[in-house]
Amino acid sequence: MRPGVEITSERNVPKPGMTWRSGAGPILLLGALALLVMAEPAFAQVPAGRDYGDFPVIGGRAAVWIAAQVHLLFAAFVLGVPMFAVVTEAIGMFGGDERYDKLSKEFTRLLLVAYSATAIWGGILLFLLVTIYPTLFSYLAQIFNLSMWIYVGLFFFESFTLYLYYYGWDRWKKGRAKWFHWGLGIALNVWGTIVMFIANGWLTYMMSPPADVTVDTAPQMVQLWSALTNATWMPINIHRLIANVVFGGAVVGAYAAYRFLAAKSDEERAHYDWMGYVGNMIAIGALIVLPFAGYWLGREIYEFNQQMGITMMGGFMSWLWIIQAFLIGVLFLAGNYYLWVGMGRIPGAERFMPYTKYMLAVLIVGVIVWATPNTMIASREEFAAMGGTHHPFLSVLGLMSGKNTAVNFMILTTFLSFLLYRRANKEPVVPWARTGTIVQGAIFVVASAIVLFYGIYGYMVPTIVRIGFSVYQVLTVLACIIGVITIDLLMLRGATSRGEIQWGRMPERSQYALFILAVTFTWLMGLMGFARSGIRQHWHVFEVIRDTSPWAATPALGYSSVVISACVLIFFGLVAFIFWLGSLAEKPVISSVGQASAAGGIQSELQPAPSEG
Amino acid sequence: MLKTNLSILAVVIGCLGVFTWVANAIPQIQSDVPEDLVLSDDVSPEELIAAGEELYNGGGGCTACHGLGERAPNLLTDHAGTGLIGERCANRVAGEDCKQYLHTSMVDPNAYLVEGFAPIMLDASRTLSSVQIWALVAYLQSLGGEVTVTGADFADDGGAAAAGGVVASAPAAPVLGPTGPLDPEELLTRHTCATCHAVTGQSPLGPSYEGMGSRLTADEIRTSILDPTASAAEGFEEMLGIMPPIFGNIPAAELEAIVQFIASQR
Repeated sequence: MRPGVEITSERNVPKPGMTWRSGAGPILLLGALALLVMAEPAFAQVPAGRDYGDFPVIGGRAAVWIAAQVHLLFAAFVLGVPMFAVVTEAIGMFGGDERYDKLSKEFTRLLLVAYSATAIWGGILLFLLVTIYPTLFSYLAQIFNLSMWIYVGLFFFESFTLYLYYYGWDRWKKGRAKWFHWGLGIALNVWGTIVMFIANGWLTYMMSPPADVTVDTAPQMVQLWSALTNATWMPINIHRLIANVVFGGAVVGAYAAYRFLAAKSDEERAHYDWMGYVGNMIAIGALIVLPFAGYWLGREIYEFNQQMGITMMGGFMSWLWIIQAFLIGVLFLAGNYYLWVGMGRIPGAERFMPYTKYMLAVLIVGVIVWATPNTMIASREEFAAMGGTHHPFLSVLGLMSGKNTAVNFMILTTFLSFLLYRRANKEPVVPWARTGTIVQGAIFVVASAIVLFYGIYGYMVPTIVRIGFSVYQVLTVLACIIGVITIDLLMLRGATSRGEIQWGRMPERSQYALFILAVTFTWLMGLMGFARSGIRQHWHVFEVIRDTSPWAATPALGYSSVVISACVLIFFGLVAFIFWLGSLAEKPVISSVGQASAAGGIQSELQPAPSEG
Repeated sequence: MLKTNLSILAVVIGCLGVFTWVANAIPQIQSDVPEDLVLSDDVSPEELIAAGEELYNGGGGCTACHGLGERAPNLLTDHAGTGLIGERCANRVAGEDCKQYLHTSMVDPNAYLVEGFAPIMLDASRTLSSVQIWALVAYLQSLGGEVTVTGADFADDGGAAAAGGVVASAPAAPVLGPTGPLDPEELLTRHTCATCHAVTGQSPLGPSYEGMGSRLTADEIRTSILDPTASAAEGFEEMLGIMPPIFGNIPAAELEAIVQFIASQR
């Protein structure tokens, strides 16, 4: 563990006047709001009785909670979308397919209108923190002041890079200029990622401060780098990076679904069908790897503090994971349903349709296992009937080993759905196609066996070892995905087509699956945000600064779910409004996918159609 | 289009409604805050037991591990045929009576690890006050045994058993601000400042505090304490480096009391 406290450090010791003479004037100007607070030593100058402010009707905590959550949702969107906007732009550049370039531009258009909302909610959050939790904010500001200045500076760069990226799209369209433009997209991602990493440092410090920061440690004595790079910082960074892509893809999918339903022409319908498909694939694709980061984060939490881990997984929050399982079950079912319905527009897919019922069965069993609680809240009579505090059979499924095994099978099943969808209208021509398919099947079988083995073995080892097994299980699944997809890519090179994908010929009910995905992802983010923050319980900074406010008790899930639903409603209400505003200003460019499809359909997926070349 | 919009709205509201309903349908468990205990030094065993029981089942968070018997021994029922915790505690470690054993198990939980369980418990004194820990000991003793905890244990344990009563909160509570009056001159002595600096008159080694408040701001004084190599007082340039940079260890509230005291010396 790196030391978190340094006895004397020039960096930590405020030198009056130094900051204003050290340059970076514009940055400091932007950080003026924060400076107003940070300039004050926390302990001496905050009057007694002003540790906490209040907020009418809903209370201070709920106000900050809602502001933070809505800000985070917008931030996740504006951080997630650039990642795949740059990738789709690159596909367009390197593959010579202009449709992807246009799609990327449309992604960015959504980004532009969401960006100011992110900043507005960030400002609301800042003011609420300063007025409702002034002492805590002052404490944090004394530790993180430098990083706060860098944060606002980067926000400045990020904004203008985004403007250049979007408004320069048509100007820097060809040759070297296009490379420059793509570089802007990469820079946008770099700024955004650093901004997120910095903010993650603040919140993870509250969750897992360095071990040598104690109740008696003055904030000036906490080393900035050590505070930022605390035990859960990098796991949260990675988890959020991936989750932002999932979230961005889901919101883009919902946007496309809305435009699909509102489309007035076949071209438009085909375009937004394709866009919805891409958004969904991005969301589900990233979702599949998200558990890696989740398990790593869980492991780090346990290693940081076993009791915090137990509080999270087995303490008062244990039921939260049942809700999470239910939500992820909805995601898997809706995502797979969308793929299966989508196979209806692909000639040749009918040969795989009989398998969907088995995949559905695996998914449903997986959800049931995953949603099985380990311990039951029950009456004395029910305990007597069960023969103890645990159900004799169901409690076995409720342990992490059973749940991890279930979710890994669900991931494998979803991947299989994607594979069948991808292969639906393709006929491999390579001579080793049959062998390749057998090897792919063998990889699936071996991966399933390994997942099952660790699932069963996990019942025989202590908790901390069992958690480690979850990493092996997910690594196995990832290896399976990489291995199978690699073979698939090689095997389908030059494949012949059984017919072209009929973009736009999608039943309307499928689009509602995209809405369900977006709402569920968003709600899930709210829930997991509550989990991450709530495991600190009655501490602002875990075991360093105690929450002595009237809202110190961590609320039950019922109340939390109401707040989360309110956040999701606010978010989607605003998203709908700003997207509508955006549509007033500019009409989206309908890519050739629409025209081609309307004229008889084209074959297209995430990569340019192999059968056409 | 209105119909489509309403359909979308219905799907969104429906999803939110279902998720909220499910979250409200499960058992509602709130994580309570360990409440401050106000106990007189002649507290009765019944009061201690009641306080301990509330902590055990609530803000103390004990049931997360000890309620099930998987992560930690179940203290409310028999464990491996040795009886309830109040019965078995006296027999666990030779030479330690029940009270000592239970107390040690909480403040040094790895000292007597029960066979078959991992060392996952943390020192309870990190989150609970001395009085709260003793109340828990009393409650556990009451489960099949005799309660021997008394108000005297708080005083013996440094629990500040002032005449009339003890107000105990978790030890970290005062962090957000000093909770009681601090004597700056006592602090100057305790933190060895007075070894070199006099409050009035000639100092043994460094500059006197007398009149320092008229020359330096509170920020500059704080900086000088935390980073004594940053600058030297006029006439003491050759002393630069003698004052060790070790005073960052001073608790924040005490540091501020010292700084404000020096700043007031005009």
